[in-house]
Formats: sequence, C-alpha cells, structure tokens
Amino acid sequence: MADMKTPEGHTHPISRMITEINAIFAELGFVFAEGPERELVSYNFDMLNVPKDHPSRDMQDTFYLADDPEIVMRTHTSPVQARYMESHTPPIRVIVPGKVFRNEATDATHEAQFYQLEGLMVDKDVTLAHLKGTLEFFFSRFFGGDVDVRFRPSFFPFVEPGVEVDMKVHIPGNKLSGRWIEIMGAGMVHPNVLRDAGVDPGVYQGFAFGMGIDRLAVLKYGIDDIRILYNGDLRVVNQF
Amino acid sequence: MNVSYNWLNKYFDGTLPSPEAIAEALTFHSWEVEEVRDIEGDTVFDINILPDKSMWALSHRGVAKDLSVILDLPMVNDPLLEPVILTESEPEIGIVLDTPHCRRFAAVRVTGIKVGPSPKWLQDALEAIGQRSINNIVDASNYVMYDLGQPSHAFDAKRVGDAGLLVRAAKAGESLVGLDEQEYTFETADTVIARADTDEVLSIAGIKGGLHSGVEDSTTDIILEVANWDPVAIRKTAQRLKLRSDASRRYENGIVPEMVPVGLHAALALILEVAGGEVAGLSEVVTTTTSPRPVTVPLSKVNSVLGISLTTDDVDSILQRFGYAHEWAEDVVTVTPPFERSDLAIPEDLIEEIGRVHGLSHVPSIVPEPVPLTEFNKQFFYAEIIRKELTERGFSEVFTSSFRSKDVVQLANAFASDKGYLRSNLRSNLTEALERNISHRDLLGLQRIAIFEIGTVFSKEEEHLSLALGVRTNVTYKPKQDDPVLTDAIAALSDVLGNETFEVKDGVAEVNLTEAISDLPEPTAYAPYEKDADVSYRPFSPYPAVARDIALWVHEGTGADEVVTVLNGAAGDLRVRTTLFDEFEKDGRKSYAFRLVFQSGERTLTDDEVNAVMEAVYAAALECGWEVR
Repeated sequence: MADMKTPEGHTHPISRMITEINAIFAELGFVFAEGPERELVSYNFDMLNVPKDHPSRDMQDTFYLADDPEIVMRTHTSPVQARYMESHTPPIRVIVPGKVFRNEATDATHEAQFYQLEGLMVDKDVTLAHLKGTLEFFFSRFFGGDVDVRFRPSFFPFVEPGVEVDMKVHIPGNKLSGRWIEIMGAGMVHPNVLRDAGVDPGVYQGFAFGMGIDRLAVLKYGIDDIRILYNGDLRVVNQF
Repeated sequence: MNVSYNWLNKYFDGTLPSPEAIAEALTFHSWEVEEVRDIEGDTVFDINILPDKSMWALSHRGVAKDLSVILDLPMVNDPLLEPVILTESEPEIGIVLDTPHCRRFAAVRVTGIKVGPSPKWLQDALEAIGQRSINNIVDASNYVMYDLGQPSHAFDAKRVGDAGLLVRAAKAGESLVGLDEQEYTFETADTVIARADTDEVLSIAGIKGGLHSGVEDSTTDIILEVANWDPVAIRKTAQRLKLRSDASRRYENGIVPEMVPVGLHAALALILEVAGGEVAGLSEVVTTTTSPRPVTVPLSKVNSVLGISLTTDDVDSILQRFGYAHEWAEDVVTVTPPFERSDLAIPEDLIEEIGRVHGLSHVPSIVPEPVPLTEFNKQFFYAEIIRKELTERGFSEVFTSSFRSKDVVQLANAFASDKGYLRSNLRSNLTEALERNISHRDLLGLQRIAIFEIGTVFSKEEEHLSLALGVRTNVTYKPKQDDPVLTDAIAALSDVLGNETFEVKDGVAEVNLTEAISDLPEPTAYAPYEKDADVSYRPFSPYPAVARDIALWVHEGTGADEVVTVLNGAAGDLRVRTTLFDEFEKDGRKSYAFRLVFQSGERTLTDDEVNAVMEAVYAAALECGWEVR
C-alpha cells in the first residue's frame, strides 16, 4: 500500500545503470569520458578506420544534418576514443556511456536513438587477456555473481583482431544463468586508429569494446521493448 | 551464405568430421554459423562470412580452406594452388573497356554446345544450397561462383554479334530487362555491357545478365564473360537498383582480379563437360593487378597482442597449415600471403589469423591492476547530485526523444516526418510527457506528476546539457506557475548550482546545465555507490485504469493494513493498486479513505464491471462491522 502524501521519485533505469557502470569501472581507474552527440564525419568514421565507401556511412544507416554533409548524429560512442586519445597521452583507461543514433526501422530491440557503453584501455602492454579480464570483472559486478566471457572471431573496422563477446552467468536463480549470451563487439584497437589520434602504434596498443546499455537493461531488468525507455512513461520509470 | 557439407567434403575426399564438429570449428575459429539444416542426403550451413574475409571466403573452396587450416586436415585439391595462365586464341573477341570500373575482363567463345538439363550431381549440389537448377550452362557458371567465388556470365553469342563487347557507363534513362524479368533503369554512374556494333545494352556489369541476351534452349554458341569490377561502383549500383545479386556481393567484397583466369578455367571446363562444344576464341583485357606484399611480425608482438605465450614452433605449425610462404629471421616471421588474400596487409591481420586458428579460448583472463582515477566527470558528478535532490522531492526522471517534428536544426534524412529536427530544448518534450502521464496518476498512486530530464539540446552553433523539470496536478490542464512543489525544487537546485535563472513557463522550468556547472568547483571524488535492489520489470497493461474511492469508519484500534487486506481480498484480481489518501479519528472511531485502482490486461473495463466489484468490497467491509461512509 502506498501513501499518497509521501511521493517518491525514481531514477531512470538507464541512469541507474550508468551510475553502476561508472562505479564498477572506477574501481579499475577507468575515467568517465564524454563527447558531442552531434559529431563530425571525420571523428565518427575517418578516424576510426572506416573507409570512405563503407556501407555504414550510407544515409540509410546514419543521420546527416541538412545544413552540412560533414556532420552526423554519432552512430556510436567510438568517436570519443579518438577525441580522448588526441587530448591525453597513454596510459589511458576510459569508459564512454552515451547516446547514439541510427537511421533504422524501430522494433522491440531497435531504436533510432539508444545508449552505448564504450571502453578503451591503451598502454604499452595491454592485451586481449586484459580485455577478457576487464569484461569478466565488469559483468560479475554488474550481474552480481560469477560471469564468464568468451571470444569468437569477428570484424569491426576500428579493431584488429576483432572479437564477438559472449557471456555466461553462473548465478543460482538468475534467469540468465547457464547459457552463452552474445553481448558485444570488441577487439584490439586498430593501429590506424591509434596513429590518427596521435598515439604511436609502435609503442602503444590497447583494447576497445562497445555494447548497448539498452541491451544490458533487457538482460538485467527483463525489459521486453527498449522503446519504452525513451517515451517518458512513468509506468516504466516508476518501477525502478 | 549457404554451404553444403557434401560439397565441402569434395575437398577432403569425404574425410571431414561430423557437421556438428564443422559448425563448432567454424564458429570458434572463423565466423558465425547461423544455422545447421539437415536436408535429404546432406547438411547445409548458413554461414555469416565476415566482411573482411569475404573476398576469398564467399565460396566452398574458401570455407574448405579455412577448415583445412583449423582442423589440420589437408585438402586433396585446391584449384587456387594451380597457376592458370589464359592463352588468347583466334578468332579474337572484341573487348572495349570504356570505363574506369572494370579491373579485368576475359571472354571465351564456345561453339556447338547443347543446352539441356544438368547432370544430377550438379542439380543436387545447387539445390542443396537453395539454388534452382536452370540449364547446364547457367548451372555450370553458378556452380563455379559458389565453388570458387568468381562469378561469370554466359551470353548467347548470336545476341552479341561479331564485333564483340563494349563496357561503358550507362546513359541516363537507359534501361534493361534482367534475367529476373524486372526492368532496370540506369544512371550514368552505372556500368553496362553493350554490343560493340549496335550499342544495345546486354547486361548490368557485375550484377545481372539481360533476359534477351541470355542462354536459351536453342542456343548453340555462347560467349562466356568472366570479369572483375570496382567494389564501390558495384555496391552503389546494386544498392540504387535494389538488386543485390550473388555476383554483386562478391565484387562488393573485393574479390581479387587474379581470380578471373581461375574462374574462367573452371567454368569453361565444366561447360565443356556438361554441354559439349569447343573453344573458338579467347580474349582478355587486364587493367588492374593486385599482389599481396609480405607481412612481417615478431613473435613477441603476436604474444603481446593476444596475451598468450606461443613459441616460434607453435606459430610455424599454424603457418604450415595455411601453407603460406614464410621465413623466419630469429623470432621474426615474414609471411607472403597468397594472391587471393588481399586482406592480409598489416602485422595485426596476421596476428588475428594466428590467434583464431590457435583458438581464442586460450586467451587468459587478466584483470588490469587498479589505478586511481585521473579525472572526474564534472557533468556526471553534478547531474548525480541533481538526480538525488529531485528524486527525494518526488520527481521521477524521464528520457525523451532527441528529435522533434519542428525545431531549429534539421536532419537531412529523417526516418519519420515527426522526427525531422533536433530538439533545441527539453521543455516541449517534458510538457508532452506530463500530459501523457497525468491520466496514469491514479494507476501510479500519485497526487501529481513531477518529472525531470537531463539531456542534450542543440542549436545551430552548439549543443549543451539541459535540465528541465515540470509538475502537473490536474487532469484538466491549467498549469500553475507557482506550484510550490516546483518552486521549492528550483530553490533547492539553486543551492546546488548557484543562483541560476530557470526559465519557468506553464509548469515547466529549464536551465542550461552545462553553463551552470561550468562555474562550479571540480569534483574530487564520486559519491560512494550502493548497489540498488534488483528490479524485475513488469510489462504494463495498455488498457485504461479506473479508480474508485471508498471511505469508512472502523473501530479505533483497527489498523489501515487490516482494512486494506479485507478490501483487497474482496476486490479481486482486477485491482492493481490501493492508496490510503485520508485518515482521521473522531469520537473513538477512525476514518480511512482509500482509492482503489482497477485495470485489466486484456480489455477496457466497463463501469458496470467495476461497480459490481465495488459492491463486493462494500459487502466485505459491512461484514467486518465497518461503516461505509
């Protein structure tokens, strides 16, 4: 029974998750970085080793601004990788939770705007093993128990090697438990990306990952349609 | 791509392990297997070949090659290992390349063929991967494409004429009916193959043959075209014509021009085998050649990227399985990739190959040593303080769309007409959100709707973080400028942000948060984090909720909980919320007033239905000796 005289406010589930994500990564020293949502084509694509003729640049995938063909709504949080490396020298540890945009049809698992979590670690000796360790550390904290991570070969222009990341939760009673779940793309930062951002790939190397925070909401809270996160409906927010 | 187990097995004399083992090997070492389907006498894999490997792997030979390396199972024959040199022969077939988009073009004339059904093995092979058998000539051409990755196309020679072929830019408005019987209209960026004598368009270069110039039952002479096209030009035309063919996909992914002789050799041999005939002239024009350059990588780099500890022997054994020429200079290896693999260009490409063949499962898990934070995110830090302040005051946080139907900054390619602009403020969205939520007030058990948003807004020149908060109390819309809940919240926020001026209008206040925060001190630590209780989201009903109030007198010692238990028990499953909204004592009795909210997950409730439930609730109260007021 609720009492009308004591109203209680609720934090949006995406905010809740970003707060938790930041707290977990802060333990390892990952800095919360940010960048513009309206981004230059050069940062969104060129500096991330996405070729000039790559299909992802097409109008059907990316929102361009009417006044300037060199400006887009960022399609991922990865441009912040380039921006951060330009203004900082390694060692670098950052996460970038933020809003991104895709010009695509929406359904229960796709929105034209959603939240992504980017991670980047650059140093002299960062390896795929650190990527695996970092992700297992994060997922175990985030889901509150033991979580394994495995890699499968994959491809993204801004990493080489690129991997698809699956996770498996081992938490008694958790409905995610016991099966491998495809969760994100990741890899070792492509030397072109390092070089273009002013980091010497002969000295430094690093990992990067990117995942949908909305997807984490689906897994963590059992949200069945991510569109309800963005329509301001308190029937959703006030459950959190 | 559909891949047949039996077809793959031709490369191994039938010694492949089970289809399950193949699927497993490919998934963890090569690329994703979407589906494994058993069909009569065969198993078909639906494989997602990765884009960077598609130039050589969109073929049964390519998949077989990768399996050979992963499973350490030698191929009994590899058509790409046998050098093919085309020998031009008379009579010449005229080839004029009046386009920058053709990288290599070969044509061979075959006379005296007999068009007819394909032999059973060929029909079976194509049908296994979901392709319809058409006739022996077309099937032979298709088989070679799915086998080796190189597309080809057979023209009926009498439709080409004696002058040969002209490859040129299409004329604007020119059109062709394709083999799929659809008519395609071109722009000048498209490339077509035309008759050299009449200039009549015969096919869409690299994408689709024309209906009129195709092989018919009566065809006796053919010209087989095997070519290579610029990936970007092909992609643009295929996309604009909405015509993604198996051929265009292979060109888009950059199959190398050097595959032309290999593909021609194989297609020609198969045509002669299944349709007879003899070669009467072969011509070729080469404008672009590619040759992979050696790639050098030290063992230490391999290990430091993958995070594993391979020896030179380990790496050497993997390279042996690839069969690629390589040389060691101490711990540094130089690999010369074969002609078809233009994807192997930098050391990291090679490291990936070594890593995936060795197995990514061998990558250990190492949590980086924690280091202190070097920076604190100021906007996030103060946004968190604002969230705390506002939620404590009963405000809930909403996220709304960054797009509006009309505003200042316009998108070039909006997905929907009501989302053509970027929002320049949060106020408009927040006002609409208040409007939408007020009707759910009873369902939510709230006296008022109080919400806020922290989000990015856009002007022509800049973008910044904005904060907006709004309150609405009444269903009939008459916003109160000086709603105390709103003014108190603004006062509290001013303590946090300094004396910022909120723009207050129609029950919504907004402030430029980026600007407000810029004057505040830099944070030196985040608030300690306490893990929230687990929440499981429950989908809500799309049907309207109905509220009914009940006020009653009970004995002085009767608690509200006790009353609620009785009321809820009588109200049944349609009740979704009970809220106590008034209580007082008088003359040794206690008065409670509750609001009961009803809703169905399946339908809109009628008044009669809810009234009947309330009758049951009244009856239950009377039975307890309570007086319904």
